Amino acid sequence: MNFPSAAIVLESVSKRYGSHTIIRDVSFTVDRGEIVGFLGPNGAGKTTTMRLIAGLTAATTGRVTVAGYDMATENVEAARRIGYMPERPPLYDTLDVSAYLRFVAKVKGVRRAALSGEMERVTAACHLEAVVRQEICKLSKGYRQRLGLAQALLGTPEVLLLDEPTAGLDPAQIQETREVIRDFGRNHAVLLSTHILAEATLICQRVAIIHHGQLLAIDSPSGLQRAMAQTNRVSLQVTAPADELRAELLSVKGVTAVRMLSSDRDGRRTVECQVDSDHGIEATIARAVAARWDLHRLERQAPTLENIFLQYVADRSDASEPA
Amino acid sequence: MRGTLAVYQKELAIYFRSPIAYYVVSVFLLGTGYFFLYNVFLTGETTMAGTLQNMGILLLTLAPVISMRLFSAEYGAGTAELLLTLPLTPWQIVLGKYLGAVTILLLISVGTVVDLVPLYLFGTPETTTILAGYIGFVLLGMACLAVGELFSVLTHNQIVAALITAAVLLGFWLVGHLQDFQRSDILRSLVGYLSFARHFTDFIQGLVRTEAVAFYLVVSAVALTLSASYLQWRR
Repeated sequence: MNFPSAAIVLESVSKRYGSHTIIRDVSFTVDRGEIVGFLGPNGAGKTTTMRLIAGLTAATTGRVTVAGYDMATENVEAARRIGYMPERPPLYDTLDVSAYLRFVAKVKGVRRAALSGEMERVTAACHLEAVVRQEICKLSKGYRQRLGLAQALLGTPEVLLLDEPTAGLDPAQIQETREVIRDFGRNHAVLLSTHILAEATLICQRVAIIHHGQLLAIDSPSGLQRAMAQTNRVSLQVTAPADELRAELLSVKGVTAVRMLSSDRDGRRTVECQVDSDHGIEATIARAVAARWDLHRLERQAPTLENIFLQYVADRSDASEPA
Repeated sequence: MRGTLAVYQKELAIYFRSPIAYYVVSVFLLGTGYFFLYNVFLTGETTMAGTLQNMGILLLTLAPVISMRLFSAEYGAGTAELLLTLPLTPWQIVLGKYLGAVTILLLISVGTVVDLVPLYLFGTPETTTILAGYIGFVLLGMACLAVGELFSVLTHNQIVAALITAAVLLGFWLVGHLQDFQRSDILRSLVGYLSFARHFTDFIQGLVRTEAVAFYLVVSAVALTLSASYLQWRR
């Protein structure tokens, strides 16, 4: 395979520890000027994949290439072109912020003359000016997270690998961090892992979904939204007898399944409907229910990461069944 | 070279921003001062032989304290992920850290020079013998720190690293005593050759033997190579 513009290339990569397979035959690319979000639940293999690309661990089979360098044989050359922020920011608590950044910059080969300028650039980008002389052990979680990002940005690497970059930040900091990543991603390749679907949707051109070490899909956020629409659920709260309510809901065209979730002392039931229709189904359900009983609440459930996983996993199961 | 230097500078900064360096230097200098007073003023001999011998034993207990955090602390703090993903070879990391620890060793060696002042003021010690003793002390320390770095690279727990290092160094120190129990000439000379104490005694007596210098340097080189190889293998 040949990927001339791709900054990150994974070709049939697997990672095994003994008999346990963490990553199974994963292939994808990230181009320069592209931000790719890596979505998956805990234990899906996101962090292992990031570590493989960062050169922290080697692939059991397959090939990882970063900026044209094979991570198996040229990892030091590749490391010059990678900025990596692990899930837990790798900070030396006893150093102060400037000493820490100076160390990372020197190792990354930033020239002495450019050192102070480069440090100013990343401290400004990550809003660290106020704490530049502070000991790292005294920093708040938000500052620690941003310092982790700042060290990754030092030396303007071609590839930025960010493992949960906004974890632990407050909403304003999340906004600022996303802006930094978006700016950087205009000219560089960025791969970021996240649990938050909205984050991937907001800043990523493409989103990769990984589950049980397998890449289930890689697509644009709008492509994934289309997949999500098929798994939509509508939840409602009604004061009504269970059997009659179920029958009424199932009689609505587009409702494929009804699940009674709970009921309180006043007889209010929380019900979830699985629907296969996109347009106006909430209004149809509301009309049918409100005509007979008290309807207290009705909402279309927001698409969740789980919805997407369920959809893709279900698709995969269907595809593997014999005809 | 630039990478090794950056790691070295970072190591020194961390040593002096944490209590470890101050603890090691003060305990060592206090201990050495006590042994010096005991050996010189009580026996009336103007030599450093006794003091250097005690310095060697003191080093066996303090070298693990210097070396235990070299890698174990990095694993614990998650900073090993940074070091291993920066453009550094395993050798640059191992060497930079080792040189940082050796600098602490040199500092404590220089600190004991204060003991020489009364020695030269009130007696006529043999400078070459003292110099040979110090060369031996530094070489012994370099070997101890390299062994300590190896066990630090192998474990995530600093205390475990220190305990294993201390046990192994004690073994190297005492192994010479097994000579008396060996009938085979080969085993007897092998056990004697492996003894840290036997080579160190040669230095204290003013003998800088190539065999002893090579021994300490080979132990250091083997331990450092194993540390670098382990880091490479870990990937």
